[in-house]
Amino acid sequence: MRHYSILEYARFRWFKAAVVVSLLAAAVYLWHDPPIKPYGGSWLGYTLGTLGALLILWLMYYGVRKRRYRSNVGTVQGWLSAHVYLGTALVVIVTLHTGFELGFNVHTLAYVLMLAVVVSGMYGVFVYLRVPRAMTENMGEDALEQIILRIGDVDRDMRARAMGLPDELLSLIDRSVNESRLGGSFWRLMTGVDLGCPTAHAVRAWPAMARRLTGETARVDKEVYGLLLQKHQMLERARRDLKHKAILDLWLYFHVPLAFMLLAALTVHVISVFIYW
Amino acid sequence: MKILVTTKVGRQQARKTVNSEWLRVGRNTSCEIHLPDPRVPLEQGMIVYRDGLVYMEGESGSQVITRRSVRSERMHYGEPLEVGPYRIEMTPPPPGYDAALRVELVHPLEATPALAARASELTLGSLGLTKRWAAWLWALAVLFVFFVVPAGRVLDLPWKEASQHAAFGDRFWNPGPVMLAHQPVEPRCGACHEVAFRHVKDRACLECHKNIGHHVGPEMQPAALFEGARCATCHREHKGVKATFRDDDRFCVSCHQDLKSHAAGATAARVSDFARDHPAFRVTLDEDGGKRRVRQGDAPVAQQTHLKFPHATHLDPKGVKSPVQGRIRLDCSNCHKPDASKRGFEPISMPRQCQECHTLQFEPAVTTREVPHGKVADALTVIEEFYANLALKGTPDSFQKAFGVPGEGLLRRVGDPSPAERQNALALASRKARQVGADLVEVRVCKTCHEIASVKSAQSTEWKVAPVRQNMSFMPHARFDHQAHRQTKCASCHDVQSSKSSADVAMPTIKACRECHGGSRPIEGKVMSNCLLCHGFHDATHPWNPNPARPVTKVAEATHAR
Repeated sequence: MRHYSILEYARFRWFKAAVVVSLLAAAVYLWHDPPIKPYGGSWLGYTLGTLGALLILWLMYYGVRKRRYRSNVGTVQGWLSAHVYLGTALVVIVTLHTGFELGFNVHTLAYVLMLAVVVSGMYGVFVYLRVPRAMTENMGEDALEQIILRIGDVDRDMRARAMGLPDELLSLIDRSVNESRLGGSFWRLMTGVDLGCPTAHAVRAWPAMARRLTGETARVDKEVYGLLLQKHQMLERARRDLKHKAILDLWLYFHVPLAFMLLAALTVHVISVFIYW
Repeated sequence: MKILVTTKVGRQQARKTVNSEWLRVGRNTSCEIHLPDPRVPLEQGMIVYRDGLVYMEGESGSQVITRRSVRSERMHYGEPLEVGPYRIEMTPPPPGYDAALRVELVHPLEATPALAARASELTLGSLGLTKRWAAWLWALAVLFVFFVVPAGRVLDLPWKEASQHAAFGDRFWNPGPVMLAHQPVEPRCGACHEVAFRHVKDRACLECHKNIGHHVGPEMQPAALFEGARCATCHREHKGVKATFRDDDRFCVSCHQDLKSHAAGATAARVSDFARDHPAFRVTLDEDGGKRRVRQGDAPVAQQTHLKFPHATHLDPKGVKSPVQGRIRLDCSNCHKPDASKRGFEPISMPRQCQECHTLQFEPAVTTREVPHGKVADALTVIEEFYANLALKGTPDSFQKAFGVPGEGLLRRVGDPSPAERQNALALASRKARQVGADLVEVRVCKTCHEIASVKSAQSTEWKVAPVRQNMSFMPHARFDHQAHRQTKCASCHDVQSSKSSADVAMPTIKACRECHGGSRPIEGKVMSNCLLCHGFHDATHPWNPNPARPVTKVAEATHAR
């Protein structure tokens, strides 16, 4: 069965809705004949502003709706599809509400925050469309937990076999077993790279060290090195998986706080406009 | 030599038999005594038979035994050796064996934690990144900086003073620049925005604009149209530095394209655009009953001026004859002189513009004297006095030329004149004066330009000169500046070259204006012209005025001093 992304949900229903709303707003804006110049205080300005504010509240309600697993008001995919498309239409509506009048004030702050939230959201959509495919390619049928357990197995096996190897090789294995790690810092999660990874170090250093081994030791060495490579590859897959998950997570750490900042700025915008009516 | 090696690791015990003269001890699987522990070197040492078992270690733990071997211990029953974490003890051999060794792991390696135990911080959330706290923090910061502090003044909070500080405070609420003239007030929002959640009141505007007049006079009907209108209804501030109102046509046209539907009694014609939809001009004429406005149309507009003045004659390309300069060609500027404002012209006056050619001489044969321009009676008095004087003192030459009979002034003759001679001289002088006066008024001079009615009675004749009407403002509601049009020839707008009558009103029609002026939309080769280019706003009292008094709009400084 073909997979439908949230962008294609219900045959682009919300895309069409967003286009209609945007075009309608643009058409009325062009037709509108404001006193002096277009601004937020003409009747169209108030209309677009009210529409934009309600839309922002509704878009933020998505954060509540997606947690209400028992709700039957639409599907979460439908809500997300609408969230994405109407969030984009919001840019058109709010930009027209400003009348392209920007300045160094709380009103423009609200506008800029709105843009920042939408842009971070768009990045989120981009990430959600790209990263899961890469995750599947990386992990196949495996889960991260399985890989971690398998690495544990390899560690035991490798260590037992490495007993028959010279000290310097054993210590490489020892460090790989005892000190290799996953995650643990923002940099390591986001890049999927552990610059001081003892396993990677062992893989690099191994061939030069094992060159002079002969006989039985050489055979053991071959086995252990095979296990080491296997472990290294699994570690890299696990780190890539963590990186993918971190990328999927990171934008929300901007999207959500910015949205609440926007809510505050929007509130101040509305109240201050009517205080100084 | 047959040796039994018993290895015990934890509870497990393994036995193996070795047939050899020596046993290698180490981590290596090829060692006879295999010690699988990372703490044990690959080849730790050897146990050899030298009249009993001896444990030997090479330098830094090695099976290469040289003279410099660092450890060499003879084994005895009940005296175990420590080899790394292991203990090796010689035990009495069971039957069939030459020797027996018991190997025991006494310090097992502490179990190293598996990778899973070190893989605890696998998500951004586990690193302490937070959405919820960041959301609260940023939202509260915005509320504090942009609302709590700025609201101090208008909500009368304790930090009132701080909220008006230039660096922060309610300046963050300013939605856009105010017009240039209002910028001195801009930093103090409270100058206009006095009470929270209330519209700006006209009072705030009038505090400075004390002398601003009514924009819509009481004559504007119906008054309900403008009921409830505030200054800010039309004058929107914070919309840029240039103006608070829109000066394109839409504002005017919104009513004036269908005025009747807004005000049933309106007399102004419908208009929506100067280029496409503007009625013909109305010309205001001075008439006996007062002023009358006549719309330009097919028939030429005429106004009775009571003056005989053909522009055609004066503008004859062949010129006119001047008594002083001979034949000269006149153009408009010879007579029409700009006034002080340069927008319009001085009124034409007889002494300044006409009299050089149109002299008022009454006896050119004798004198160049002229009668005064003005009242007929004054002129006649001057004539009478002149001839009386001539009759009294005239030289024979003058006397002859003036009276047409030989003689000289009465007082020039020898001896006292007789009463009869006096009577004769007086009669001669007054007869001549009457004759010349009548000729001057009715034929030769006054009549040239003026409409004169003569009222004859038994004793005398009285002349009435119709007062000349000089209309200085045919279009009093239009703002027109001649100076701004000085690159244009007069004749482009005022067609007087062939006008034979002063009654012709040579005001341009809308067609002439449209040659250069377009409407509210740009047209190639034309000047974009909106309503306010020529019209004032609802103000019947500001017709074209060469010396307009500008309304005083000074800022009341005391209000804004801190």
